[in-house]
Amino acid sequence: MRRSDLGEFEEVVLLTVAVLTPNAYSVMIAEELESATGNTVSTGAVHAALQRLEDKGMVNSYMGEATKERGGRRKRLFTVTPAGSRILHDVRSVRESLWGRILPQALPKIDMAR
Amino acid sequence: MKKPENSLLPKWPEKLFTWICHHDQAEEIIGDLQERYHLRAQRMSPGKARNYYFKDVLAYIPSAVLKRKSSSKPTFTLYPDMINNYFKVAFRNLLRHKAFSFINIFGLAVAMSVCMLIILMLADQRSYDQFHVNKDSIYRILSKPKEASQPYATTPFPLVSTLKKEYANIDEATQLFSGVGGDAVYKQQVVEMRGFFTDPAFFTIFSYELAQGNSQNALAEPNSMVITGEVARRLFNNENPIGKTVQFTDRGLHYLQKSGKDSPPVSWGNFTITGIIADKNYKSHLAFDVLVSSASLQALYRDNKIINLTDKWEDHHQTWTYVLLDPTKTQSDLNASLQQVVRQKYTSLKEFDGFQLIGQKFSDINTDLLSNEITYRLPLMIYYFLSVLAIVIMVSACLNYTNLSVARALTRAKEIGVRKVNGAKRKDLIFQFLSESIMTALLSLLMAIILLTLIKPAFKGLWINQFLHFELESTLVVYLLFFGLALLIGIIAGVYPALHLSGFQPVYVLKNLDRMRPGKLGMRKVLSVFQFVISLFFITSSILIYKQFQHFLEFDYKFNTNNIINIELQGNDYQKVSAQLRSIPGVSAISATDIIPATGTSNGIGLRKPGTEAEFTNMWILHTDEKFIDNLQIKLLAGKHLPASGESADRFILVNESAVKELGYTHPSQIIGQTLEVNWNKEVVEVIGVVENFRYKLLLNTNEIGPLVLHNQPENFKYVNVQVAGNGLNGTISKIEDTWKNIDPIHPLKYEFFDEQLAATHQGILDVVSVIGFIAFLAITIACLGMLGMATYTAERKMKEVGIRKVLGAGNMGIMLLLSRGFLTILFISVLIGAPLSYMANNVWLQNFPNRVDFGLDILLLGSALLFTLGIVTIGSQTIRVSRTNPVDSLRMD
Repeated sequence: MRRSDLGEFEEVVLLTVAVLTPNAYSVMIAEELESATGNTVSTGAVHAALQRLEDKGMVNSYMGEATKERGGRRKRLFTVTPAGSRILHDVRSVRESLWGRILPQALPKIDMAR
Repeated sequence: MKKPENSLLPKWPEKLFTWICHHDQAEEIIGDLQERYHLRAQRMSPGKARNYYFKDVLAYIPSAVLKRKSSSKPTFTLYPDMINNYFKVAFRNLLRHKAFSFINIFGLAVAMSVCMLIILMLADQRSYDQFHVNKDSIYRILSKPKEASQPYATTPFPLVSTLKKEYANIDEATQLFSGVGGDAVYKQQVVEMRGFFTDPAFFTIFSYELAQGNSQNALAEPNSMVITGEVARRLFNNENPIGKTVQFTDRGLHYLQKSGKDSPPVSWGNFTITGIIADKNYKSHLAFDVLVSSASLQALYRDNKIINLTDKWEDHHQTWTYVLLDPTKTQSDLNASLQQVVRQKYTSLKEFDGFQLIGQKFSDINTDLLSNEITYRLPLMIYYFLSVLAIVIMVSACLNYTNLSVARALTRAKEIGVRKVNGAKRKDLIFQFLSESIMTALLSLLMAIILLTLIKPAFKGLWINQFLHFELESTLVVYLLFFGLALLIGIIAGVYPALHLSGFQPVYVLKNLDRMRPGKLGMRKVLSVFQFVISLFFITSSILIYKQFQHFLEFDYKFNTNNIINIELQGNDYQKVSAQLRSIPGVSAISATDIIPATGTSNGIGLRKPGTEAEFTNMWILHTDEKFIDNLQIKLLAGKHLPASGESADRFILVNESAVKELGYTHPSQIIGQTLEVNWNKEVVEVIGVVENFRYKLLLNTNEIGPLVLHNQPENFKYVNVQVAGNGLNGTISKIEDTWKNIDPIHPLKYEFFDEQLAATHQGILDVVSVIGFIAFLAITIACLGMLGMATYTAERKMKEVGIRKVLGAGNMGIMLLLSRGFLTILFISVLIGAPLSYMANNVWLQNFPNRVDFGLDILLLGSALLFTLGIVTIGSQTIRVSRTNPVDSLRMD
């Protein structure tokens, strides 16, 4: 493992991999993120993030089936490794403990339904 | 669902990624791009989708450049398991095709052993003179008269003292002066020794250690001697030799030639032993039993026992000069100093115009062969020549391997296909096939080492080795070189099959083997022809050289050698010897001479008409007694025999026919009674007879029979020629031996049969025959092995065809012809090319050879017949086997 830190985009991609497993590959992840955030997410950016995650040992990959839409080409499918899982859990526990300690008046009210 | 239009997308991103990315990654990226485009095309207009597509392409570029490593299972070539597998498969293949393996291994081994022999020879040669501490700054000085084609190893005698006195470049200089060869006597013990006069600097320049004595001053005093340990033991047994006095009698023994040519003994007086050379097996170009201090020369000059050369710049034939150069100076500095010497000393000597003195690197001594060489050496040219022969053989053997491996590709095709399907890369297969060829080469190496132990004694037994002293010891370095050689040969032999076989496409080799053809035979035929041409060349050459040898053996020298024994006088009085020997019953005639004719030694004389100032006519001279020409049955054409030795005998000479012509007479009888003046003592001699031309010079050296003079001067005689009557030769010889013990109790009898002595002068040719013949044998063996391999292979491939033909009624003969036609063509073409080639190449040297035989059609026919016979036997072994097979066996399975 080269770096244990996790960028924000990488974290989201990693989470999405977990969500989409066993069908997590760059196109699906990009589509998912695009629909979840409403921003354009390019496949290339996702691909680069996945490659970094793989270098860090947080995801594994293998070549999957070829489909017609891909012009008969195979896709690379990703799964979260135990190391990836651990860091996701770490990040989550950090965040949850922080959320739990926020006093009710500390955050200005916002309208979530906007 | 709207059908997405792939054709709307440009092709370049695909190409770009295919180019910059690893195969898998490109597939993934291009697939991603297309899938995303399809998804978008369903949501938005094609134009927008296209815009997004390009953005995606740009976003991919950074990660594409990062290049994901192949994620398929690593087929790492140097994976222990794979290597294990390669060797297992290689080994099984070797065992499965025993015939082919044998052909490959044996062929390579044969060729390798020759290369190894040459490596050994070179290693042996390089091991000389390595023990000298100063070996990098020692130079030998050579002299080169203008007209000489190569320099002499010897120099003028005064050179050393001049260099030492006047040239600062030179740290130290020493000279070896030839002329020590005779018997040392100590308390009735006599030991023959040869060596040189030299000075104390000898031990400064050369790193010989003394077991006893002080090397600083051992050679300083007059009449001191340094001897080798071996001589010391023979002469003194267990006594301490240092300080002991020995009597030395010089017999003029030559420093190189081990057999005779000695002159009457001259006593040089007493010498003190001042040093013993340590027994360290010094391997050097210098060989000596004894070193005598140069200071001893003065007394010998005084008594006229040795010609004083102290100021003789003209004589550069008897002294070897070695210098130790200042380490900061170079060879060109030395040569500059030497040029200065020449300018100083030779400007007054007209006939030495253009004379040169040259420094020779010490390390070059053992590979250059010069005139007046201090030792016998093989010149570098011979090594080049032998290496070329060895390489030709080696290439031929490697071609066999290549040929057979490629031809048998079919047996490996499936394996290659399966390996590739399982993910082997081309480089993995190349590695596999190379490792196989290297393994074969290493097995050959083992076999070659065994072969080498067989060849080595044969090589050492060559006649020429008694002069060259090859020991051919194997050291660790040599074995490492052998190993390197085997690796190299493995790679060279295996590289083409490896590249060829690894290129097979799995789809073809696995699907339909029928489409696999072992390729056109064209290239292989050419290679085979090449091998046979080489073989034919060597075969005819060795036959030719052997014929030349036979021709020399049967040569008519125009004198009789039958039953004649030549006995060395070894300094004994000729009258006494012949009187004693004549009394032996088996001896029918005795004559005496100074030189055994046609054995390579010659003396010259100049003659002219007395009272004239004409140029002297150069002739050869043989000193014989009056019985010589009768004993050797040389025909007397005119006049009478030489007179018996006595006061007046000195005045008369015989000449041969050539001399008659040379002196300007047409008929032998005209010259009888004419007087002539001798060049060196101005004496006048009278011609009293003319003999038929007979061979006086070595057959190898010249074709012409030069003018010759016969003169009866008993003081020059060195041999007696004893004619033994009829049979009972051995009995007579033992009687001669008994008698000899009375004549000379010290020196054992030295004799040779005249005919054997003459044959021995051609022994060198027999060596060449042996070497070329051996190479020819190897070349033809390898060529036949190659052909055997191809024939076996063809036979296997055509088994079914033969079966079918037989069923349809073909006869055995027809089938044999069918199978061997291709090979017969190869042999035929080889002869067509090889015969003229051999004829031309051999005539190049033959034309310059004296007393030569003709390179006739018979040699070519004999060589070709040999080639055809061997070739046909080789093919026949296979074709007969196949043509005899029962078609049932070959067709049953279909």
